[in-house]
Amino acid sequence: MSFVIRGIRTTSLLALSLTFALLARSQSENARASALIREGQGALDAGDFSRAIHDFENARQLAPDNADVNRGLVLSYLQAGRLADAQRIAESAVGRWPHDARLQHWLGLVYFKEGHNQNALQALQRSESLSPNGPDIHFDIALVYLAENQYPQAADELENAIKLNPNAALPHILLGRAYQNTNRTVKAIEQFRAALRADPNVPLGHYHVGFALASLGRDQEAIAEYQKEALRSPDNPSVLYQLGHCELATSEWQSAIMHLKKATQLDPKNADARYDLGKALLLEGDAAAAVLTLRQAAALKPESPEPHYLLARALEKIGDKEQSQHELQIFADLKKAQPATGGMATGPIQ
Amino acid sequence: MAHPRWPSLLVSAAMLTAACLLVFFPQRSPAHQQTHRSTAPASTSKGKGLASSPISFIDIAKTAGIDFHLTCGDPEKRYIMESMCGGVAVLDYDNDGWMDIFLVDGSTLADQREGKCHTGKLYHNDHDGTFTDVTAKSGISHCGWGFGVAVGDYDNDGWEDLHVTYLDGAILYHNNHDGTFTDVTAKAGVGNIGRWGTSAAFGDYDNDGFLDLYVANYVDLDLQHLPEFGQGLFCQYRQIPVSCGPRGLKGGRDRLYHNNGDGTFTDVTEKLNIDPNSYYGLGVVWLDYDLDGCLDLYVSDDSTPSMLYHGDCKGGFTEVGVKAGVAYSADGREQAGMGVDSADYDNDGWPDIVKTNFSDDSNNLFHNDHTGEFTDLAGPADFGPVSIPFLGFGVKFLDIDNTGWKDLFVANGHVNPQVDQYSFGVTYAERPLLFRNLGKGKFEEIGFKSGSALAHRYVGRGAATADFFNEGREDLLVSVLDGPPLLLQNQSRKQGHWLRIKTVGTRSNRDGFGARVEVKAGGFTQVAEVRTNSSFESASDPRLHFGLGSANLVDAIVVHWPSGTMDRIGPQRTDQQLVIEEGKGVVTPQPMAPRTASSHAN
Repeated sequence: MSFVIRGIRTTSLLALSLTFALLARSQSENARASALIREGQGALDAGDFSRAIHDFENARQLAPDNADVNRGLVLSYLQAGRLADAQRIAESAVGRWPHDARLQHWLGLVYFKEGHNQNALQALQRSESLSPNGPDIHFDIALVYLAENQYPQAADELENAIKLNPNAALPHILLGRAYQNTNRTVKAIEQFRAALRADPNVPLGHYHVGFALASLGRDQEAIAEYQKEALRSPDNPSVLYQLGHCELATSEWQSAIMHLKKATQLDPKNADARYDLGKALLLEGDAAAAVLTLRQAAALKPESPEPHYLLARALEKIGDKEQSQHELQIFADLKKAQPATGGMATGPIQ
Repeated sequence: MAHPRWPSLLVSAAMLTAACLLVFFPQRSPAHQQTHRSTAPASTSKGKGLASSPISFIDIAKTAGIDFHLTCGDPEKRYIMESMCGGVAVLDYDNDGWMDIFLVDGSTLADQREGKCHTGKLYHNDHDGTFTDVTAKSGISHCGWGFGVAVGDYDNDGWEDLHVTYLDGAILYHNNHDGTFTDVTAKAGVGNIGRWGTSAAFGDYDNDGFLDLYVANYVDLDLQHLPEFGQGLFCQYRQIPVSCGPRGLKGGRDRLYHNNGDGTFTDVTEKLNIDPNSYYGLGVVWLDYDLDGCLDLYVSDDSTPSMLYHGDCKGGFTEVGVKAGVAYSADGREQAGMGVDSADYDNDGWPDIVKTNFSDDSNNLFHNDHTGEFTDLAGPADFGPVSIPFLGFGVKFLDIDNTGWKDLFVANGHVNPQVDQYSFGVTYAERPLLFRNLGKGKFEEIGFKSGSALAHRYVGRGAATADFFNEGREDLLVSVLDGPPLLLQNQSRKQGHWLRIKTVGTRSNRDGFGARVEVKAGGFTQVAEVRTNSSFESASDPRLHFGLGSANLVDAIVVHWPSGTMDRIGPQRTDQQLVIEEGKGVVTPQPMAPRTASSHAN
């Protein structure tokens, strides 16, 4: 009996010793894991995603069931652009911690970056239901909607995002765009201007204001905005094109030619800029140069009838009636091939 | 273990580089998109500046006794024909030397089904600033859903006749010389049977001395099978449900009726290959754009190319719209052409063309290049950009201050009242636009500072010009959808001298339509063509009005008659009306009428 008791005691002591030993080791590993998590987080903050991955992978060896380790790993892979790894870890982690709003959020972003918008939307919406006021969740859902051209839904999410964080510029920009794409341009301008108030250096802030103003026919105001944007982004061909386009609309042909020429130099495949350049040259009276430019525009957009129409008129101006007639015929043939759109109900013809 | 401080997720934000933003934001220019443009403020000068503005118009319709209300479908405008009414006509039906008014009425679907009668209304000018409704005794009694009106003396009896277009045909009223009219449609053969006519215009295209008739037809519509509101591709405007069409609906082929000279007409549409594609016709103006002495014809079409028919002086036409540069926008795109007019706005001796279009699109100012081609100078002229938010209908050249440079008036109003439920920046009612010609090919829009009547918003449609009070100023008559018309009296304080010319053809058609009149005064020459029909569904004062600025003497007048004869007339006083008869010259100089007390009303 006593042997038995003694034996039991001996066994208990041994077990206890082992437990203490294991506990000690576990504490040591936890401490190490915690340190790695902190280091990984620091690496993330520093933008060193490779090091973050290394730290979090090592942490996972020590603490595979630690939620923070998994979160860090998902985020590191996501930031590093290693989407397959991010997806693998995130899906596994979400299976383990289905009520973790952050993991759902980041899984949604992984899907979004992979182009799986429906999966992304589901994951993001799960995250939103778990944490309705989670940082950036409305903004990120809006991104998915925007990618799917679902502008009213995007606008709803962005309005929520702005309520939570009114001082962030980008949500205003995107909300403005959502408004613009649903023909609420006046409200769009308000948002673009709000973005500029929140961050005067927000990328393409003035560009967006200019674009919206131009679509309202307020070309002079649009030109002023594009000029501001051009000062910040002197080599952005889109900005220069829009600036030249508005100058063309306001009959400032020489400025238009200058900006459109630069836009076509920076982006030689921009058929619209080349077309506008040809139009400006024609209006300025340089029909020969217009012919050359419009031929390039027609080549860049062979399905478009408009360059051929203008080309025919330019050719007529330089006396080449035969080629003009030829271009008119191409114009007519391309017109016939186009689907009927627009009109009284739908507005201007596309 | 302390929970980590996860960074506020910047993954998404980091994605939004400038390049990404451009992906979200199409790089195409706004003009290439279905974008919207807001209307300018209805009035930016209310309560200030009006008194000092040299240009001023006041609406005297009510005080003048014009009690007309234009009915055109239900307010929701669920069907396309409910948005297209509004013909107005100015004519001197009783030859008393004062311009009278005829207003076309529309109808409603319910009234059509119940047989409730809608006729137009004829108002007699009482010479004292008021008008009297004389419809009841005029014999103008056809009931129907009316749209446009043309005026012309088709039988050369010296009295103006009326042609009215309806949803299902047209009526020709012969003037009986006693204040009454007789429906002679069946005998004349200009019934446009079963077709929805909009604008119509008289003009003698073969110079045989008799006015022929062009009728623009819009859509072949079956009232029993109307397209369902908001249902389908062509029933949307910026993704909101609206009335359908015209795209998706069958176009109505325009008709050209040749006057046989015996009170009857022959439909020569097929013979002369007029409108073979049955485009959606809305506006018509006869003009001689190449000065060859034969009338040409410009037809504005909705959502389809507009047409320019060149008359060959032998009774035939060649359609040259594309080659001449007036079929499409400057970019080769179909436009929603509405109203048209023609005048020599830059005083270079050649007639130019103006055309109104849908909102989001510029109105056109086609400058005559003297080569058979036109260039749209709406942009450089500062006429186009300001028009972009507006949906233009009626349009007229006129000289608001008698400077000798033709100004422009545009009646605006959207077709979809539903736009008011959205913050599109587009409104259903829109203010009219008034452009002052600054010379050198430039215009300035001054409507908002030319009196409160022009600063208000209306759903404008037809527009006509006339000197209603024979005082040497051009006034305006504008129809308003589902409302009373505007009779806009020109009250502008600073006015130049003027000359008014009424033509009487003898070998040519009696009205002298198509005659080209040159007036030399003050060191330069103005040229104008005689017509009544242009704008949108409307007819204006047939008397030519020349503003002469500071010139107090007309040096010379030359009239090129459609028959080929020419009258040269020596110096004349200004500020008077001349009646010039073909082959005789001036037969009746008429001094300026004194301003009436009521013309100063309001």
